[in-house]
Amino acid sequence: MSALAVAPLAPLAQSGPVIPNFGRGDDCIRNNGNFCTQWFIDNFRERFLPRVGEHIKMTVIAVVLGFIIAFVAALIAHRRRGFEAPFANLASLFYTIPSIALFQIMVPITGIGWTTIIIALVSYTLLILFRNILTGLREVPSEVKEAAEGMGLTRRQTLVRVELPLAVPAIIAGLRVATVTTISLATIAAFITPLGLGAPIFSAIQTGANTEFVGASLLAIALALLADVLIVLTQRIVSPWTRARRRSA
Amino acid sequence: MHKGRGRGLLTLLSTLAALALFVAGCGGSDSSSSSSSSSGGSSAASSQPGKGKPAVTIGTKDFTEEFVLGELYAQALQAKGYTVNLKRNIGATEITDKALTSKQIDAYPEYTGITTAVVAKDDTLSPTKEETAKKAKDFYEKRGQVVVGPTPFQDVDAIATTKAFAAKHNLKSVADLKKLPSFSLGARPEFKSRFTGLVGMEKEYGIKNADFRQLALGLQYKALDKGDVDAANVFSTDAQLASGKYTVLQDPKGVFGFQQVYFVINKDKYDALGGAQFSAVIDSVNKLLTNDAMQSMNAAVDLDKKDPKAVAGQFLQANGLTGSSS
Amino acid sequence: MSDLINFYKDNASLLFEKTLAHLGIAGLGMAIALVLALPLGVYLGHKHAGAFLAINISNVFRALPSLALIAISLALFGLSLLNVEVALVALAVPPILTNAYTAVDGVDPDAVEAARGMGMTERQVLTGVELPLAWPLIFAGIRTAAVYVVATAPLAAIAGGGGLGDIILNQPTYGLVGVIGATLIVVVLAFAVDALFALVQRAVTPRGLAVPRELTTIVPAGTDTAVTAETAATVEQV
Repeated sequence: MSALAVAPLAPLAQSGPVIPNFGRGDDCIRNNGNFCTQWFIDNFRERFLPRVGEHIKMTVIAVVLGFIIAFVAALIAHRRRGFEAPFANLASLFYTIPSIALFQIMVPITGIGWTTIIIALVSYTLLILFRNILTGLREVPSEVKEAAEGMGLTRRQTLVRVELPLAVPAIIAGLRVATVTTISLATIAAFITPLGLGAPIFSAIQTGANTEFVGASLLAIALALLADVLIVLTQRIVSPWTRARRRSA
Repeated sequence: MHKGRGRGLLTLLSTLAALALFVAGCGGSDSSSSSSSSSGGSSAASSQPGKGKPAVTIGTKDFTEEFVLGELYAQALQAKGYTVNLKRNIGATEITDKALTSKQIDAYPEYTGITTAVVAKDDTLSPTKEETAKKAKDFYEKRGQVVVGPTPFQDVDAIATTKAFAAKHNLKSVADLKKLPSFSLGARPEFKSRFTGLVGMEKEYGIKNADFRQLALGLQYKALDKGDVDAANVFSTDAQLASGKYTVLQDPKGVFGFQQVYFVINKDKYDALGGAQFSAVIDSVNKLLTNDAMQSMNAAVDLDKKDPKAVAGQFLQANGLTGSSS
Repeated sequence: MSDLINFYKDNASLLFEKTLAHLGIAGLGMAIALVLALPLGVYLGHKHAGAFLAINISNVFRALPSLALIAISLALFGLSLLNVEVALVALAVPPILTNAYTAVDGVDPDAVEAARGMGMTERQVLTGVELPLAWPLIFAGIRTAAVYVVATAPLAAIAGGGGLGDIILNQPTYGLVGVIGATLIVVVLAFAVDALFALVQRAVTPRGLAVPRELTTIVPAGTDTAVTAETAATVEQV
């Protein structure tokens, strides 16, 4: 009938394979502790570091692509009033689709791998980037634009030399939210393919290895916070004058 | 002053672009594997039948034993010069088989009884493991795949309870569960709809009193220990079962079937990889996989939390299938 | 397409049960987030103090990946509803907190002065002047949070289960058509919740204040002001 093999580890039989001693885990890990530091350190390079690299790669590619698309769309919307609503509506539709569903739905179309992940992640960045770039452009005081016009700048020159630079704070704020959101969503990508920090999270939940999924989770959180801080610092470097600016609602 | 702001924006954009290029550059394309060039070491007169052949993508399902099997096959193949992309943890059988037929992956290890019951959707019970294996083989060959194996070991679904619970209700076989007014059963999602699962339990044993609780695989022992569920779906080669804390209920009718492992590969890929030469490598792995071997490897991963890659590597090396530890 | 209709027909009662559970999970998360974030944001905005605190709590919470939170909670609490609720609350707090703070903080100071001049107590100023003027923006934040929460609640199925996530994460049993079917329900729910909040927002906005242009578009009106507020907030703290 069904062969239930619950034999303890038997010494090798003559004609059986050699079963090496794989090494006993320390007490912490054998008790499946929530975070066994030694185990985490020992396994970091092999099991976590490559995932961190993949995660960063996913995020950067998705945010940059999303930025390009959103940027172009915002420029168009800045010129043509009618463009904003359709684009924003489409982009915002994605926010109602659970990412874990979107990844699965795209697999038959774009396969199991990078293409699916990037397309899905880019979709989620569009709304926030579009909104922020557009808002940034719109918030430029009309007196400034008029002054530029008065100085003889063409519309394009005004855009490039006046409006966009003034929009930088809003743009970076949008980048910030988009990046952090993408890092979070990228963990879900591992549901369909073993890439990024979500991979050890999902697989460790399967195997019940607490330290593995707790460790990967902490890494994901650290990555997101680090990205957030880096972008804030970038914002300060790139637009130091905003500290002086006080906004009144 | 405007120049300063313009410069700021320019700096920003160029930083972004540079960052993207840098990141895209470092780290190869499809990095879901420990691909190609395994050191291998130079085994004397090492035939490297894999050299020059196309890459093969092996997928694995979503639990420890599959992770280990995937690594075993991948590393053994790499030692023979094959280029392997290993995609770990694709999902349950239904998802992984779909990936196979849609050529997202070329091959994966599958259990004979699961093939017949879940993939082929054949509800009839086979009396022997040989018959189950034959049915599986025929099914795959008709569909355009080739199988290599089967392995000596089997890993069947089973229902387990804590020792205390079984003693209290005098449970020895799955059929005894019928006696309870109701009981909670924790299992992975697909268990609910499978013949080698709740459906078969209902049909063959008349179990209609189960309260199904969906659990991610791997959480079932936690749930049993905490008392979150009365019974749980486990695998017979799970390391945790050796602890003596659980009672595995007998399956006299064989609902959960026979479950040896076949390495299943799409025929066109199989031919491109050199047919018999390729299967020789797989065979060399398969014949080592006894119940004891599988259980010890599972234990190393599940209890001692070793990396499946390392465990598979050590096993292969100890048995002479690789030149050095990967 | 017909597969989809069949899916709905065959699983009508299951879907109904899961949808209710889904709303429950989402609702609980929103309720907790509102209790935590709304009073805090309003209070800090009223006092025109603690901008740093409000903004940074929001930023930190926003940076926490939901899956990571669920996984850590799983290790700490085992299988339970708490796991997903921790993640949902972390998701909902930032828009609510930021908007509440920015809204109340940004109420026209002249109006507040006038109210004080008329002899209103602090509490009366808050409830009679600041809150009514701030409601639209506060509501925008709540709307945004609600959409996030409804769309993220499927993750509950990873560690504790419940709601439409049980179907979305179970493609083996329900097929891709099931995943799509359940997802559509989530999308509709998100739209419905947004529309509902929009109606309430309109009902609660005092006459004479600008009403958001579109009532039923899902996020634009909400995100517009929420994003601007979030933008302003994040800009301000630099």
